[in-house]
Amino acid sequence: MPDNYFARYLPLLIHLVIVGIVACGMVLLSWLIGWRRPTRAKMAPYECGMAPIGDARERFSVKFYLVAMLFILFDVEAVFLYPWAIILRDLKMFGFWEMIVYIDIVLVGFFYIWKKGVLDWGEASMKRGGF
Amino acid sequence: MTSPYPFAAIFGILIVALTIASGLIWIERRLLALWQDRYGPNRVGPFGLLQVLADTIKLLAKEDWIPPFADKPVFIIAPAIIMITVLMSFAVIPIAPGIIISDLNIALLFFLAMSSLGVYSIVLAGWSSDNKYSLLGGVRAAAQMLSYEVFMGLSLMGVVLLSGSFDLVDIVHAQRKIWFIIPQFLGFVLFLIAGLAETRRLPFDLPEAESELVAGFHSEYSGMKFGMFFVGEYLGVTLISAMITILFFGGWMGPVLPPIVWFLLKMFFFIGVFILMRASLPRPRFDQLMAWAWKLMLPLALANLLVTGAVVLAFFH
Amino acid sequence: MATSLNDMMQTVPQWSDYIRILPEIVLSLFGMAVMMLDAVMDESKSQKALGAVALIGAFGAIGATLYQAQYPFGYGFWEMVRVDAFSIFFHFIVAAVTAVVILASFEYMEVQRIRAGEYYGLILFGAVGMSLMSSAVELVLIFIALEISSIATYILAGFRRRSATSSESSLKYFLLGSFATAFFLYGVALMFGATGSTSIFAISRSLESGNISLLAYAGLAFMFVGLGFKVAAAPFHVWTPDVYEGAPSPVVAFMSTAPKAAVFAVLLRVIFEINSPVPTRMWLIWIVAALSMTIGNIAALVQNNVKRLLAYSSIAHAGYILVAFAALPSSGIPAAMFYTAAYAAMNVGAFAVISHFGGEGERYVTMEDYAGLGKRSPLLAVTLTIFLLSLIGIPATGGFFAKFYVFSAALQANLVGLVIIGVLNSAIGAYYYLRIIVAMYMHEPKQEAPVAPIPMGAGLALAISVVVTIYLGVIPGRVLNYAQQSVSELTPVGQVVSLQAPHAVEARMATNVKKALAH
Repeated sequence: MPDNYFARYLPLLIHLVIVGIVACGMVLLSWLIGWRRPTRAKMAPYECGMAPIGDARERFSVKFYLVAMLFILFDVEAVFLYPWAIILRDLKMFGFWEMIVYIDIVLVGFFYIWKKGVLDWGEASMKRGGF
Repeated sequence: MTSPYPFAAIFGILIVALTIASGLIWIERRLLALWQDRYGPNRVGPFGLLQVLADTIKLLAKEDWIPPFADKPVFIIAPAIIMITVLMSFAVIPIAPGIIISDLNIALLFFLAMSSLGVYSIVLAGWSSDNKYSLLGGVRAAAQMLSYEVFMGLSLMGVVLLSGSFDLVDIVHAQRKIWFIIPQFLGFVLFLIAGLAETRRLPFDLPEAESELVAGFHSEYSGMKFGMFFVGEYLGVTLISAMITILFFGGWMGPVLPPIVWFLLKMFFFIGVFILMRASLPRPRFDQLMAWAWKLMLPLALANLLVTGAVVLAFFH
Repeated sequence: MATSLNDMMQTVPQWSDYIRILPEIVLSLFGMAVMMLDAVMDESKSQKALGAVALIGAFGAIGATLYQAQYPFGYGFWEMVRVDAFSIFFHFIVAAVTAVVILASFEYMEVQRIRAGEYYGLILFGAVGMSLMSSAVELVLIFIALEISSIATYILAGFRRRSATSSESSLKYFLLGSFATAFFLYGVALMFGATGSTSIFAISRSLESGNISLLAYAGLAFMFVGLGFKVAAAPFHVWTPDVYEGAPSPVVAFMSTAPKAAVFAVLLRVIFEINSPVPTRMWLIWIVAALSMTIGNIAALVQNNVKRLLAYSSIAHAGYILVAFAALPSSGIPAAMFYTAAYAAMNVGAFAVISHFGGEGERYVTMEDYAGLGKRSPLLAVTLTIFLLSLIGIPATGGFFAKFYVFSAALQANLVGLVIIGVLNSAIGAYYYLRIIVAMYMHEPKQEAPVAPIPMGAGLALAISVVVTIYLGVIPGRVLNYAQQSVSELTPVGQVVSLQAPHAVEARMATNVKKALAH
């Protein structure tokens, strides 16, 4: 096989197709083999035998959104570190100090969210008014 | 050094991975039983080995249940996503010289990308079920997996600094003199914890914490679709063990025995560690889980990275 | 690509490189200081202290700009930023506006009972992006600077958390703004595809060498759309009234002047350097300028809310500035720069008055509320009158010379049609500005209660704005000279021009433009 750049990705593509077939096959197989006999009790959401009140399309804590936002911020930060890790040997000391500065700036933000209680989930966050 | 016979490699690796993953159902139950002073499954076939087969047939023959209140397409797609993303990661795993589906120069990034995509499966499963327990499990899973993903990538950058490559084959070769477990012990610990959290294994199984959330995000799942989450979890365990082997324990390298045997030995050792964790550790509270990730692991990962960078610059120049 | 990376690694930034971004460094450090202090200080007591820190930061940035001006001009960070008289002009505007807005904010934050130190930090971070925008000569860096400034202003727009209109303002600004930034980025990508570079000078050289592909035109058009949104030029203006109406008044003062100045700086660089070989820019800018002036002025006629009225007026003013863009570089650039400075002074002042008069929850913002202000608070009425007269363009105010230079630059370029539209529009504009003045002096006040006394911070902000507005209207020479001087620095690196010979530069530019037009 010629060792050009895209040739390396060809097996990956074949792999994706086969994996897709495997995954869909499993779903399909259970659809073909399995039987269906719905009853009234089965039709209701399972809540340990209690009669469900309302459905699950409800609001949930804003904390989860905050975590999602933090994830984006810090993952972007991590993404900058990936190429840096690869070429640090070429960047030499300058690259190292630049990264120290960069991480320091990130840590300022980290300090801020820490002190503001974004990272607290337990009683500490309840004391701050459930934020 | 991508395998010259892609189809052979793909089918070989897929079959082995799926076999190991389903075999793990039996192995885990036996090992847990051993550590908890019980017997475990020992009735079906010799040592209960055929239990796996029996379970598969049972799951396939179960009612193919899609709740009428669920979001049907998403409900069906969710378990398929986890299977696809985890199995895709196996494509870049070098099991031994020449036994790899696709030798990418960005293999490590590919692995990280695929493991982040896995979150979708859990969140979509939890959301589409339209069950309060499922939804809670789903959003918990999202928060947990996102939080632990941040430093999962960072914990591996020490290895990248030492080897100067994202290519897993190069990383294995770079460990000829010394396994990265020694210079990167902290990185290893961080990655192990992140790996546990990413696969939602005990002690990090809060998304499905059965004592509070029934079965968490897959409360409404049954039959083979439930089985796919189950197998997906074991595939994840296998994958993380394989990654630990490659990144920190010299991959296939070892004396006397053939490379592939070494690889499998090391991998099974870590699978054993995963199961031992389940047998021995209690589940933390959710706030503790999040606090660890953000307040402890993330700063540690950054510190590890900077110290490694300084050492690399000091000793290699 | 590999060689340039190697080059970069060989040359570690020097001390001079850091001086080229000194105002940005100062602003960032103070912004971070505000953030960290806000996290540790008691929320109920920290507001004044944090504002003071931010104010010191803004004055520090002014000082850093002055220091930069003493230092020899040139490039920094591998030709990504360029400090010259042009960028120093805009650095100064941004830093000064920041300082004035912070001064005006002390009272506002207290009256509205907004307890969030982040406010001051965000203003400083926004200023970082704006001053970086005016000195960046590399499109990706410009994009990053644009994002820094925009994201800060998106958040600032929503700072009146108890008010629904403020949230609406923030969300609208964010959604439309990110859409526009995407346009800009897409334009940068296309430009990179067409010329193989993101450096403005390299792009300009590549385009001068001849074959301008369709891709380059498309790239330029996309960039223009993105930047046009940020300066609220029609037809990309629809967000402006709602956003300005809902956002806190000092924030409107900030975001209607400083980011606009910075984006106009980018537009000047992009249009007059990249675009010089592309003659089609003429009619494109012609249309946008005419549309902005007309739509802004006509829509402002029917407004009753003063904030909304000034929002439409800011669309119209963006149109006037764009007139200068259609003119020749030698006269158009200084005219646009002068207009930006004058507009910054008078608009910040006008919004400072609105922010003081608005009261708790910004209750008093309609024309009826302003009725009889001349009796209730003569001082406030006089200051607002000065700013409004300047916005009309009455002589002895900065607005007059700003319009005068712009229109004369357009006449020099034979854009008679555009000038006629502009002058007609100025006449329309006079009507609605005068309406406010008439209401203040001729109408009976609805309520007799005296207006709250002007505190020191807001008073200082108003005083600075008044002084600058009148200074620019009485002695415009120095500022205009400075602006004219910086024209020579907008020319590409290939053409080395001396600072001392503006005539030679003009001649050279003129021949360039002729060549381009002939092309």
